[in-house]
Amino acid sequence: MAPIEKAVAIEKENVIVDGMDISGPWSRIFEQRTIFDYTPELIEKVASIPGAESFANCYQCAKCVAVCPVDVVGNYGPRKLYRYAQTGMDLSEAPQLWLCTTCANCLRVCPKEVNMVRIMPAVREQAILDGKFVPAELQQAFENTAKYGNPLGQPQRKRDAWTQNAGVPVPILKDLGRPVDVLWYVGSYPSYHPRGIDAACAAARIFNALGIDFAILGKEEKDDADSQRLAGEKGLFEMMAEYNIATFNKYEWKEMVVTGPHELNAFKNVYPRYGFSRPVVHYTTFLVRYLDRLKPLLKHPIHKKVTYHDPCYLGRHNGEYEAPRQLLQAIPGLELVEMPRNRENGFCCGGGGGGMWMDSFTAQHTTMRLSEKRAMEAAATGADILAVACPFEVSRFEDAVKSTGNEHMRVLDILELLDRSMRGDVEI
Amino acid sequence: MAGKVLIIGGGPAGLEAARCVAQLGGEAILVEKRERLGGTPDRESYAKLTHHWRDSGEAIGELVAAVTGNPRVQVKTQAEVKAVSGQAGQFQVRIECGGVSEDVQVASIIVATGFQHFDPGRATQFYNYYTFPDVITLTDLEKMLKEHKVVRPSNGLPPKRIAFIQCVGSRDRQLGNEYCSKVCCGIASKQAVELRQQLPDSKVMIFYIDMRMYGYWENEIYWVAQEQYKVNYVKGVISEVLKKGDQLLIRGEDTTLGRPMEVTMDLVVLSVGMEPSAGTRQIAQLLGVKQNKYGFIEAGGPGGLDPVATSVPGIFVAGAAAGPADLNDAFSMAGLAAARAVAVLYQTQVA
Repeated sequence: MAPIEKAVAIEKENVIVDGMDISGPWSRIFEQRTIFDYTPELIEKVASIPGAESFANCYQCAKCVAVCPVDVVGNYGPRKLYRYAQTGMDLSEAPQLWLCTTCANCLRVCPKEVNMVRIMPAVREQAILDGKFVPAELQQAFENTAKYGNPLGQPQRKRDAWTQNAGVPVPILKDLGRPVDVLWYVGSYPSYHPRGIDAACAAARIFNALGIDFAILGKEEKDDADSQRLAGEKGLFEMMAEYNIATFNKYEWKEMVVTGPHELNAFKNVYPRYGFSRPVVHYTTFLVRYLDRLKPLLKHPIHKKVTYHDPCYLGRHNGEYEAPRQLLQAIPGLELVEMPRNRENGFCCGGGGGGMWMDSFTAQHTTMRLSEKRAMEAAATGADILAVACPFEVSRFEDAVKSTGNEHMRVLDILELLDRSMRGDVEI
Repeated sequence: MAGKVLIIGGGPAGLEAARCVAQLGGEAILVEKRERLGGTPDRESYAKLTHHWRDSGEAIGELVAAVTGNPRVQVKTQAEVKAVSGQAGQFQVRIECGGVSEDVQVASIIVATGFQHFDPGRATQFYNYYTFPDVITLTDLEKMLKEHKVVRPSNGLPPKRIAFIQCVGSRDRQLGNEYCSKVCCGIASKQAVELRQQLPDSKVMIFYIDMRMYGYWENEIYWVAQEQYKVNYVKGVISEVLKKGDQLLIRGEDTTLGRPMEVTMDLVVLSVGMEPSAGTRQIAQLLGVKQNKYGFIEAGGPGGLDPVATSVPGIFVAGAAAGPADLNDAFSMAGLAAARAVAVLYQTQVA
């Protein structure tokens, strides 16, 4: 391996010239501009990692860059990564390794099938194994997952504490002692995060109202770890998958319903590689089947303009675009408006591929958070409410509407909207 | 010399093959499904050809005239080959013509069933061809150029800003069309020149991955477009076409600057590539000649160096039935296929 050596300018913290302090942020004009050499080695270094082979396929058409969310807030895209590698960037040591959210919009338009959804986890895994730089906050999420069974670092014994707030029975499989129709996998954020708990309680009330025979795993439930896998921790993922599959298989149930798209992706698309292949659906896909029974329950109109954000792992990764919209449109009075980037071209919130746990790191390399950019797009539609269907998103977008001065726009999970239309006594 | 040569397809390659067979002293039966000869340039109302900027109707008319008045060529229009059996030297062919079946014996066969333009509706729809009326294809524009009436389909007014997007339906693993369609760079540049001639106030831009202007197309088309007609070439293909007011917003990356572009346009032209025609797929099945993974007839012969040999001895291929081809390719292949087909006639006599 012969990385290209570049001249490095001397960077000082404080510069005083003739008594005048001219210290300031580093300017890119001081960075090396001349390209001294091109090297195939650093492209090959990436492409030689199993799973990352397609990195070498890029023919520089640039379709990916225009649809890459990270390029909107920075300087990114598979085409650029290829060219940077060709001119001396070792991806395994570069900050760029951690900026991809695996949102798959590049793959959607790529004529050469350069697959960042496979490349990034593979290169990250190698970087972790080789002891290269890993963002500290991501490392923390890995450790929390290993130690507590969830990336938030919350105690396992409190995983079902939220059920006390639901106001309806939330049966736990272990206590129930009988088969159920639906195993509801709640997920880490709906179990622990205050705003996630709101969605979990809403779901419990909806399932009860519809008379669904369901139960949860309670304290036995642990994180799916799919985002940890995409962030490079395959070993951790396999450990969690082994535990989860054994737990799922302990009980008799017909179908699993998940609150989150990342869990859907894990159990439906990845766990089958580890021997688990039972039916799994996202809650939007599940509830839309009960639309006829649900509609009479949605008694209270919500006279609001609502825009819906397609989660990457529900939409592009799993092809579900219509169920969430059908559920929203079932709410009386609700007006659904679309953002310019929707469905297949939905704009990533920045939470996927481990991005959920790298916001501080990402902030150093981008001009704003993806969730902020998206919140601004949502606000531009004139919407009163930004509706979401992924437990990562409520907290991300609530921060984003505040930081971009769009507090007037509420961020609510579709579950919460349905629940409010059912109950009617809750302010929106 | 004994027997006849059957030529399937009355487009440029088939017409040229028929003329060459006749010039070499053979007899040809030319079968064409449509009621008219002339093939895709005629059916799709091509304006000018990349060949010396010739008027398409006039140039194709000359090819047709060389065949229709030729006593050695029997032309059957509205006719289809329905069954083939036998082998080189003695093929039995059933031709259906106007509801009447006829059995003929031929010594060799030339397939010249051509291509069809890529349908952008088959793609992932990100250029919105079927959503926005002002997103059109090369073939749509060609018809307007021929009539000297280039307008925005949405409002009937002449466009001021026109963009071509290259490689639509070509060079794409996801679509399965991995090949370069070869002619679209030249056609787009030719059309860009015609646009500037017909609409001198218009701005024309071509967004590309690589401009593939091989041989004399470089100086005869590419340089003419850029230098004389001020066509703007931008390296960086467009990712998506969106709506902005009553205009189209095209988004992509200017790769030489590494900067994003968002440019408004009145008209967006998709440079659609080539796919095997329905006729090519059908006839390949009927004749039992091998097709490649894209559905084109596999040419090359055992040594790979014979561009007109198919997998069946005595059956030859010419033009775009064998893969993307421009008129030069079609004519060169037609001449060679005619020579090989007539050679079979000589061998048949010896046997």
